[in-house]
Amino acid sequence: MPTIFKGRSQELAMLFPAMACLVLIIVVPFCLSIGFSFTDQRLMPRPIPTRFVGLTNYERMFADRLFWQAIGNTVLFTVLVVPFQLMISLCVAMALNAAIPFRGLFRTVSILPLLLPITVVVAIWAVLYRIPTGPLNTIYQLFAGPEAYIDFVGGSDTAMVAIVVLSAWATFPYQMLIYLAGLQDVPGDLYEAAELDGATAWQRFRFVTWPCLRNVNIFLLIITTIQALKLFTQVSVMTKGGPNGSTTTIIYYLFQQGFTSQKIGYASAISVFFFIAVTTIAVLQRVFLKNEGEQ
Amino acid sequence: MNYQRLIGSSALALCIATQAYAGEITAWVIDAAAEKPYFDQLGAAFSAAHPDVTLNVVPVPGYVDAIQAASVSGNLPDIILLDGPNMAASAWAGTIQPIGNLLDPTLLADTMPGVIAQGTYGPDGKLYHISAYDSTVILWGNKSYLEAAGVRIPTSVDNAWTRDEFAAAVEALSKVDGVRWPLDMKLNYGGEWMTYGFAPFIQSAGADLIDRDTWKADGTVNAPEAVAAITELQDWYKNGWIVPASAGDNQFYGEKTAALSWVGNWMWPPHAAGLGEDMVMIPAPAFGPEGVTAPNGGWGWSVPASTTNLEDVSTFLNFVMSDAEVAKYADITGFAPSRAAAVPLSEKFSTPGVQDLFTAQGNCCAVVRPVHPAYPAITLSWSRAMLNIFSDGAADVQTELDGVAQYIDMDIEDNAGYPPFSAN
Repeated sequence: MPTIFKGRSQELAMLFPAMACLVLIIVVPFCLSIGFSFTDQRLMPRPIPTRFVGLTNYERMFADRLFWQAIGNTVLFTVLVVPFQLMISLCVAMALNAAIPFRGLFRTVSILPLLLPITVVVAIWAVLYRIPTGPLNTIYQLFAGPEAYIDFVGGSDTAMVAIVVLSAWATFPYQMLIYLAGLQDVPGDLYEAAELDGATAWQRFRFVTWPCLRNVNIFLLIITTIQALKLFTQVSVMTKGGPNGSTTTIIYYLFQQGFTSQKIGYASAISVFFFIAVTTIAVLQRVFLKNEGEQ
Repeated sequence: MNYQRLIGSSALALCIATQAYAGEITAWVIDAAAEKPYFDQLGAAFSAAHPDVTLNVVPVPGYVDAIQAASVSGNLPDIILLDGPNMAASAWAGTIQPIGNLLDPTLLADTMPGVIAQGTYGPDGKLYHISAYDSTVILWGNKSYLEAAGVRIPTSVDNAWTRDEFAAAVEALSKVDGVRWPLDMKLNYGGEWMTYGFAPFIQSAGADLIDRDTWKADGTVNAPEAVAAITELQDWYKNGWIVPASAGDNQFYGEKTAALSWVGNWMWPPHAAGLGEDMVMIPAPAFGPEGVTAPNGGWGWSVPASTTNLEDVSTFLNFVMSDAEVAKYADITGFAPSRAAAVPLSEKFSTPGVQDLFTAQGNCCAVVRPVHPAYPAITLSWSRAMLNIFSDGAADVQTELDGVAQYIDMDIEDNAGYPPFSAN
């Protein structure tokens, strides 16, 4: 037994249940899907044997127009939602960190979106986005006349933006809570020193708050990016990948191939590609964005 | 994600699967609002008629996933409810068994031909699926708007609108005060509806989802007739004549901004409640040379291959397909009874009336969705193409239908032609 495990049987025993579950629920299925990706495995049993097809699934995937469209959509969503969501999280966190009246109440209210199941959030936003007389369009009609409306979810230019806004609203409290914790860790004497030096509010943010949040920012950037790349539920419930494929994400496409169309082999190839892509992005972010104190 | 779903459904399947005991049978049913009142009373009604057999009716949420998971893990109950077009895939996979010899021949004798066709598996010609009802799609109309537009209102399949009349009616309706979109085609449904509700237009025009002799899609689903029919509908969409998906479900019967609605008989209750005396039922249009064409079919009973207590299962199937039960199903759900003998017993269908159109269309003009194990691939690719064609950005019809043909043919090739359907 390697020396680091020596005399740690109790720790190992306590780790065992969690590790066993991880292996059983994540590692084993993932290894299976690597295997499936080289076969023409189907979801349902069938009377003809499953064949080894080599790299056929991967060749098809790279030649598949819809696959590339799904990649483009997923990248677009991530690029839009990550800065937007982190920005509103930070703004709300700073507001709730300031000495405002009823701070406890506002802190409680602001995490409410996190308590709603995402399907419920989508249902609420579907009502807001409705045409021709949903609440958002009613406001729009005040300016643009009674017959005008914007088809937020049905327009191929606006659907992704509509999903970005609702996704950011639905999950920002998580990032906000972490920012709030990060803000409370910023030493108060730094602000005092900055104030004595005559720093403006913007300068205090730029040169005190922002650098102190570096580690929090890196963590949130990685977490939020991974979360964004996995977009599925909002698309599945609200747009079903439309209009004209403009909101089909990789996971939604994978789901269609694996479950609706029952092509487990092909869906496994997509999932292997997706795993490699997400891991690469996360590792690159980690390499290029060093934590404070790291070299 | 996919494994989480699979594992969740498997766990559910394990929890509700029960061992087969003589004198006790379990049936899984869909957990849907329209059918719920029928299934809620089914167990008690069956016990009253057959005290020696206990029936457990289990409504299963996430039904399709649960059935798939249970098929893989071998935990299917004695009887399942199955959506008609998916029967062929299950029969081909060997997960369900023939049921023709479990049913009283007199019950089968007066079952609607479209329902028998939906349940009959081509390679062995045996019945694997039987449904207590049939479905169809008609044009529901708002009488005030139709009269204001001055269009003829057809009353039976013999005088249905031609394509030109339909187009002229939609155009005239678009100019009527109060009408924002003349035609609601339920683009908000998505999914299977896009196949069920839109394939009839190309079938009437002389094309089909797939050639039913050679089982090849290329040259059939993307035939010039199909492209022309869908292009015409897309032109209507571009003109702003079709309710967009994001306008929700109720533009016809609630907001009353749509004048016509192309939808199935399940919308009868909300339409009647919303429009009252203004509601008219118009037969499906004769969109092409093949005349009036409508879809049919729906959920029905199948017996998993693993089921052994066939005597009790036979008792159950003969009970649910009996005159009284088929009539009760129709009265509760609004779907047309699948057996002629049930019609006089049904409150909704016994008196002559507009609903006769459902039965008439079912008997004259129903085209069964392809009974082929590639159906999951057919419906996925076709419905995706329809959603692309009828959405902002209006995808090119020829390109989309070529993509559908390629996708279906590739699926068939991947399964070695689904032997014995075609050997290639």
